[in-house]
Amino acid sequence: MTNNWMKRQRLLGYIFIGPSMLGVLLFFLIPAAYSFGLMFTNYKFMNPNVDFVGFANIARLVKDPMFYKSLKNTVIFLAAVPVSIGIGFIVAVVLNQKIYLKKLLRGIYFMPYITSGVAVAFVWMLLFHPKQGPINGLLRSIGIDNPPGWLSTTTSSMFAIDIIWIWFMLGYNMIIYLAALQEVSPELLEAAKIDGAKPGQILRKIIWPLVSPTTFLLLITGLIMTIKTFGIIQAITQGGPGSSTTILSLYVYQNAFRYYDMGYASTLSWALFVVILLITLVQWIGQKRWVHY
Amino acid sequence: MAKSKNVVTASTAKQGGITLIMLFFAVIMIVPFVWMISTSLKTPIQVFEYPIKWIPSNPTWEHHVKVWTGAKSFGTYYVNSLKISIIATVGATFLSAFAAYGFARIHFKGREALFMVYLSMMMIPPQVLFVPKFIMFEWAGIYNTHLALILPGLFTIFGVFMLRQFFLSIPNEITESAFIDGAGHFRIFFKLVLPLAKPALATLAIIDFSWHWNDYENALVFLIDEGLYTVPLGLQNFILENTVDYNGMMAAASAGILPMIAVFIIGQRYIIQGLTNSAVKG
Repeated sequence: MTNNWMKRQRLLGYIFIGPSMLGVLLFFLIPAAYSFGLMFTNYKFMNPNVDFVGFANIARLVKDPMFYKSLKNTVIFLAAVPVSIGIGFIVAVVLNQKIYLKKLLRGIYFMPYITSGVAVAFVWMLLFHPKQGPINGLLRSIGIDNPPGWLSTTTSSMFAIDIIWIWFMLGYNMIIYLAALQEVSPELLEAAKIDGAKPGQILRKIIWPLVSPTTFLLLITGLIMTIKTFGIIQAITQGGPGSSTTILSLYVYQNAFRYYDMGYASTLSWALFVVILLITLVQWIGQKRWVHY
Repeated sequence: MAKSKNVVTASTAKQGGITLIMLFFAVIMIVPFVWMISTSLKTPIQVFEYPIKWIPSNPTWEHHVKVWTGAKSFGTYYVNSLKISIIATVGATFLSAFAAYGFARIHFKGREALFMVYLSMMMIPPQVLFVPKFIMFEWAGIYNTHLALILPGLFTIFGVFMLRQFFLSIPNEITESAFIDGAGHFRIFFKLVLPLAKPALATLAIIDFSWHWNDYENALVFLIDEGLYTVPLGLQNFILENTVDYNGMMAAASAGILPMIAVFIIGQRYIIQGLTNSAVKG
């Protein structure tokens, strides 16, 4: 009887999760295994000669200067994540106080996150226009005669992308912090105030440690989400000028679908996976030092 | 008496001051959207006028007309995007709920292990999957068709995770009494749990829809024919072909963004609730 019941539960369980498991198998596991295999071939699209090349692709990657450059660009891109988390935290703390128009403000700060895709990247492309764009117009009008070239120079382009990304992510970080701040007990803050703590001290010594699990979560998910992105960069700079905005995820795309060098692209994509794995590991180890549960 | 009145005005002034500062930064946040709409209604010579005239002196609709009725009308892109986004969203929401119920409410051996495998798929970057999916779709004959976006779009790991959190929070007593009355898992799922989960399903549907609507990367990889293009690809096409028509670009960008602004305004409450639930309680 119980045995039968358990069998039935098991069957039902498989029926419920079955369709999704099939999806994972077809669109994640099998392609991932396939890609792993391609890493050891010289497969090029439309080229019937496919050879097993062993570790040649990996050897190529280790010596590929563009791989290191794309890694460096990726790091600059990722720098946007902690910055937008920091700003998101400040905005959340302010919005959590007694102010007017709270809901409207929250909605506005959050709007870029949900509405923007490629479309808004094109808007930024014009806003950043080096000669005539409104951003440089504003900078000139306040006396900066040589404003940056933003997306048009190799030295500033990655930072311009960072600005767009900070703008985009900020609202999400704020929303999550706002939820976390609801869990901070008002009595605790009141007690600290009575003991004579200054607002800055309360913020740094009480609130910031209390929301550290949230910061940790935002950091991991934000870094992983950012490292996988290449759409907005492909849309507005195609990795240029030169290769100054070619981040690793975009470099994978270029190798696969611009040069059709799919064996090498697979190798690069696994390097990307390793970076994601490392970020996650470092985070898990590092969190013990500064996350207070 | 006078003192307490002073305190009230002081704190009101402080509140008002903070509100004003936050409003100032909020304006900066939405400036790109405002500039986009404003520019789409201007003439070419007015585009980069400085100081910026936010409300154009004689607004023109010709750029919007061009975007919608030109040789490559956004109408086609809209139909394609709507078709893909709606089918994928409805399918993904239902399939996620189905799996989430299994992971949350049915006890069977290996459940936790399977769930971990399932979640770990989030670690695999899409870049790893693009090439093999391209080859597989080519082989299956669905490369360069909408199915290449719809089929994988039916499965969202985030969706299963989010709904599982929600189903776990439904008290056991509710389903237990139904069990005692002899209902099986299917009946409980359809008659009891799904209706209870309506807000969570709405949240997932809105977020998922926005992903599909904004999805540029998959469309870029899996679609070639212009007739199949979705809004983001159509937009890119428009911009490549009209490199100096800044007004037209902004009219096209508006066409891409305005539906999402509408979805956002209508569904804001659900979106925010859903994202915070899955993050904070996760």
